[in-house]
Amino acid sequence: MPLDHKRINGPDETLPYSLFAKQSTPSWNQIFKELQKEGKRSDARGFLDHRKVFLKTGIVSQAKGSAYIELDNSKVIVSVFDPHEIPNRQDYSLKGEIYCEFKFAPFSCKKRRLHQKDNEENQYSAIMKQALESTVCRHEFPNFQVDIYALVLHNDGSCLSAAITAAGIALSHAGVPMYDIITSVTLGIQKDMILLDPNVLEQSLCSGPILDDTKNSDHGIVVISILNNHNQISQFYQSGMISLEKLNQTVELLQKACSDLVPLIQKCLVKHVIKTLKSSGEG
Amino acid sequence: MSLCEAEKTFVLHGVEENFRLDGREREDYRPMELETDIVLHAFGSARLRLANTDVLVAVKIEIDVPFPERSKEGKLEFFVDCSANATPDFEGRGGEDLAVEIANTLSSAYRSKHAFDLTKLCILKGKKCWKVYVDILLLECGGNLFDAVSLAVKAALWNTQVPKVHGVNIDGNNIELNVSEELYDCDRLDVKNAPVMVTVCKIGEKCIVDPSVAEEQCSVGSIVVAVSGDKFSTVLQTGTGSLHPATLMESLKLGHRVAQRLDEALWATLRQIKPGQDVGFLK
Amino acid sequence: MSRNRDLLSKIGLRLDGRRPDELRRIRCKLGVFTEPDGSAYLEQGLTKVLAAVYGPHQVRGGRSKAQHDTAIINCQFSMAVFSTTDRKKRPRGDRKSTELSMHLQQALEAVIKSELYPWSQIDVYVEVLHADGGIYTACVNAATLALIDAGIPLKEYVCACTASLANNDVPMIDISHQEEIIGGPTLTVAALPMSGKIVLMEMSQRFHMDHLEKVLNKALQGCKDIRQILDEAVRLHVRDIGSSTGWANTS
Repeated sequence: MPLDHKRINGPDETLPYSLFAKQSTPSWNQIFKELQKEGKRSDARGFLDHRKVFLKTGIVSQAKGSAYIELDNSKVIVSVFDPHEIPNRQDYSLKGEIYCEFKFAPFSCKKRRLHQKDNEENQYSAIMKQALESTVCRHEFPNFQVDIYALVLHNDGSCLSAAITAAGIALSHAGVPMYDIITSVTLGIQKDMILLDPNVLEQSLCSGPILDDTKNSDHGIVVISILNNHNQISQFYQSGMISLEKLNQTVELLQKACSDLVPLIQKCLVKHVIKTLKSSGEG
Repeated sequence: MSLCEAEKTFVLHGVEENFRLDGREREDYRPMELETDIVLHAFGSARLRLANTDVLVAVKIEIDVPFPERSKEGKLEFFVDCSANATPDFEGRGGEDLAVEIANTLSSAYRSKHAFDLTKLCILKGKKCWKVYVDILLLECGGNLFDAVSLAVKAALWNTQVPKVHGVNIDGNNIELNVSEELYDCDRLDVKNAPVMVTVCKIGEKCIVDPSVAEEQCSVGSIVVAVSGDKFSTVLQTGTGSLHPATLMESLKLGHRVAQRLDEALWATLRQIKPGQDVGFLK
Repeated sequence: MSRNRDLLSKIGLRLDGRRPDELRRIRCKLGVFTEPDGSAYLEQGLTKVLAAVYGPHQVRGGRSKAQHDTAIINCQFSMAVFSTTDRKKRPRGDRKSTELSMHLQQALEAVIKSELYPWSQIDVYVEVLHADGGIYTACVNAATLALIDAGIPLKEYVCACTASLANNDVPMIDISHQEEIIGGPTLTVAALPMSGKIVLMEMSQRFHMDHLEKVLNKALQGCKDIRQILDEAVRLHVRDIGSSTGWANTS
């Protein structure tokens, strides 16, 4: 892909120096054994605990609706813009369209991200769209399009889930009609260990096999988005290598984790409503 | 193709009765034709025709430098081209979204080491590796693209012949590869565990595999599962609808079962292929 | 010029063993796909092309483009990324593809009776699967077959052929890729062989004016030969279709 040389006038291809530093980084195998021995994770969480969540609405003043989510170090801003006519479209569509853009900020990861969307971001955008399409009452705004932009400020794992959860809040903040509250949770698997809401290190631990033998070498990432009151899965994505029984088990775990997030979102939205009522009462 | 409500009801009733439009049962596939060695310029190629879906896959190999963060691995890249021959909607850049979706799903399914071992494509650690380009050309769309593409890709990779490297001469920074001159002195790629994808479509209350274009229109949601060996390497939800967790598990089970049957059938077919058979579009 | 770069050997044979006025083997088939209204596959030597025709149908992309007295002919040329020895980066959108699309459109506009379909559009898509010289000619020939398969009224066949001049003297037709890279001028002609009209002529590199007539005549002869082959294929196809339907027996 051609680079925008007017904006970024550096070399085309650069590498993080850490690759060449002669430091003794522990192998995946060691990290895994350590985790297994300790019985808890680096931030003192249990394997099936979600990180603490911080939510705030109305963070971007130019946008119709916006939300900010923090899962410890993972920080994502989502903004939603007014419906507008679908560009370059001839035929009339009975249902409204959703446009999603998922972007890592250049400084959000260990390696610098480029301004252009890469394949991973394209894929995440598509997954996000898939999750939100069945959440929004699209028949309410035929022939119109709602734009949703998610920007990851700091990537410490489970960013896609954070973005989808925040997008749900931002959409309700924007007043877009929705069927239900949407929550999303990520889960990582390595051998027998299941890690809920993995951070970036745990995520890369789960993305590849640590041992060569093919038996009992489940590994992978599962992302799920659930509409809780309707008990419907609006999006499901898995990568890696996971057996059917394991997958069965994870879906149940994820369902519970998703429903645990709902009260937090309700609280955040209620807070926003009270704040709006107060300010309008004063004015 | 767009169906009216009455037509959709007709399809739905057929699915309920386990007797679909073309007389198939819910778990049946349409007839397939597979040919290999069809593109002369490629190292391996295959053409798969699944009823009206026509996919041509060619594999090209080039020498490249491995990624510094994964110095022991070769590279595998998928490129999908939606030919306008398939439908006028693909003219210009019209097919790009679909193309990117298929390519991303494929690379996600092949990412795990147990699905496709990239370390075998490495020639000299950190210096030289094979880069495998898998180019997929969609010539006609008759429904169920994912399944057809994954089978054709697997067949093409099976057919691929990687030239043998006899030795490496290192002279300072210059690296010279001593590639075998013999035309038939080649290595085959190991595709034993290469994933096979199955699209499971939910129509009404029932799940079906291998949907035709009409059936795709009737479905509210579908699940694409990529199965490698007896494990899932990727699961992706497509379509605009949402699914109940029970339906999800049911379709995962169905996809798992069908994918293994499909894989067996593919291997049986590949074993039957003899070199020098008359292939092509003239048949 | 060194010996091994000669296009024509002493005994008058070309690099691939053909005589100067010999075409490469042309094999073709009509109706390879069911989705388009008309489709054709054509092999000219090793060059392989698929063509598909959609239409005539309503004009897509804004009514403003529609013409009140004629149909719009829309062509897209695209090359599979694996069609050449070196992998191509993009299948279409580069300058060469755009140019070839335009040339194809010119050639087809000359033969399609577009005045019969006002306010409508005909799409012609060609996809090169294997490139081995004479891409444009193969595309024109395949597109003609696809148009016939789609049942679109044509004035007559439009056929294209390339010609070159070997050893500064002998004209030869249907240039292969190997001959293209060795060099020598290439004259591409798209013609209506029955009426002898030329609809497109393009030439690269140079030779003396005096040779032009000679080379052009050879190319036109090539077009006539190609017409013969295409005509035979069409007749065979119609016979097959006709006999399988019992020649529309109504009794």
